[in-house]
Amino acid sequence: MHPVCKQIRRDILLASRASGHGHIPTSFSIVEMLFATYETMRHNPKNPAWEERDIFILSKGHGALGFYCVLARIGYFDVEEPKTFGAYLSRFGCHPDRHKVLGVEASTGSLGHGIGIAVGMALAFKLSGARRRVFTLIGDGEANEGSTWEAIMIANNLSLSNLTILMDFNKSQVRSLPIDNPAERLRTFGCVVHEVNGHDVEELKQALSIKSSTVKAVVAHTIKGHGCQTLEQNIFEWHRKSPDAAQYEQFLKELDAGSSLA
Amino acid sequence: MRRQFKDTVTELATNDERVIVILGDISHYLFGAFQDRFPSRFYNMGICENALISVAAGLSAQGFHPFVHTIAPFITERSLEQIKLDMCYNRFGGNILSCGSSFDYAWDGATHHCYSDLAILRLLPGMEVIQPGSRKELDTLLRSQYNNGRPTYFKLSDHPHSIDIDIKFGKGVVLRNDANGLTVVTAGPLLPNVIEACKDFAVNLLYFPTIKPIDKDLVAAYRHTRFLIVHDGFGLREAINELPGLNTAYHGLPDQFCVWYGTVHDIRREIGLDPAGIRQAVAAYSRNA
Repeated sequence: MHPVCKQIRRDILLASRASGHGHIPTSFSIVEMLFATYETMRHNPKNPAWEERDIFILSKGHGALGFYCVLARIGYFDVEEPKTFGAYLSRFGCHPDRHKVLGVEASTGSLGHGIGIAVGMALAFKLSGARRRVFTLIGDGEANEGSTWEAIMIANNLSLSNLTILMDFNKSQVRSLPIDNPAERLRTFGCVVHEVNGHDVEELKQALSIKSSTVKAVVAHTIKGHGCQTLEQNIFEWHRKSPDAAQYEQFLKELDAGSSLA
Repeated sequence: MRRQFKDTVTELATNDERVIVILGDISHYLFGAFQDRFPSRFYNMGICENALISVAAGLSAQGFHPFVHTIAPFITERSLEQIKLDMCYNRFGGNILSCGSSFDYAWDGATHHCYSDLAILRLLPGMEVIQPGSRKELDTLLRSQYNNGRPTYFKLSDHPHSIDIDIKFGKGVVLRNDANGLTVVTAGPLLPNVIEACKDFAVNLLYFPTIKPIDKDLVAAYRHTRFLIVHDGFGLREAINELPGLNTAYHGLPDQFCVWYGTVHDIRREIGLDPAGIRQAVAAYSRNA
């Protein structure tokens, strides 16, 4: 595991422990995707409003805790701040608010919205001749929403080559409406698709850097709760839970032992 | 009224390169000349109303002024959450212009009717809600609101009136000021029917092209009277009643779908919004005033 990504997972566990709020497994599944995306993007943590920056939108807004901890580790704000996660008057809600957190470009939470906003931003950059790119991260659960596919159809119809859709394929929908073979579906909708190990930062960065003449989709095979065996094996129980003191210590041990199923 | 939309937006686009038109596969031919002049700012984006709003929000976030246009129920009731979150919560503005009004498409049945757009959109924080009654009113309000960065809804009808009234965003208009007892209130293209129905009665007549923000000062000036709200939709009644303690009655849509087909005039007659039906209501409330 990439050392920064391991540290970000420690940050996530600490923030969840301190705040009493969860969404740990989904945050763990996207740590490398987020980190690799920000490694690839043009952005400046010291000047989040930089006019030439690329844009990232977390369409699956319930991954906010992972998002905050990544933003903190790459310099957008102090790593201690997300410990107030979900608390009264905290800036760090359980879904991200663009008016409160530096680096958040769109407030998301209800699924199937952020990707449409991302399509509009990518079109805006094309129209204004800006060389800015837009990255958006969706979940396979989010792919249950029809509006997700509406946005993908529009993006491909407009050949938005400056748009990259990252799909966190963590198989979270096995108990309801599974999205089998998302790569094939995205390809059918017109995207150029790259399938990668979603926990391999270098593989992700390589796929994200490939130029494309139309919409690019990176399907990242991930494991919910990646890095802690207990989380990986109990994703539904831990969907929103926060660890008690003993569980927190246990998770840290599992993380350090590298006892992942991956 | 759609022609006016096209005329005004074409002029705005000529002077403002941030103006962009997004259609939900309607009025395509109407915008043919616009498409020829501004091919990169015209998108017939498809029959996908949820995403149309999200995409418009994204364009707005990066400085454009989108005009999203399709049939009222699909772009408002179907896409309510996109308007609520992507535009209002995110504070990404944009202009939404519907067509079909409440039951312009009488013959199509209730799938194509929209009685509640004004009522539900006025509940969203930051939203501006407009029902222009004439082409002139639409022109005035489009020019004054299109680039203010806020989400603005325009309920358009294919049956505008042609009464020449000077209006301003957020302001109601006093059309008659003849009584202490009863104030008739209306909005939109129904106005000629209301004027006709009131002609033999001593009433005040107020007209509100802006539903949100409602002109509270004007309503307050008549609070000593009873109000009869005559409207072919929901939303105006609720807006007027933002002022507490008013004595109001509503003459308009029944609590059922308007399932009789025909034309807009047939439905107005069926539910008592033709001049005769409104006249009956005014007569009844005048007696009680």
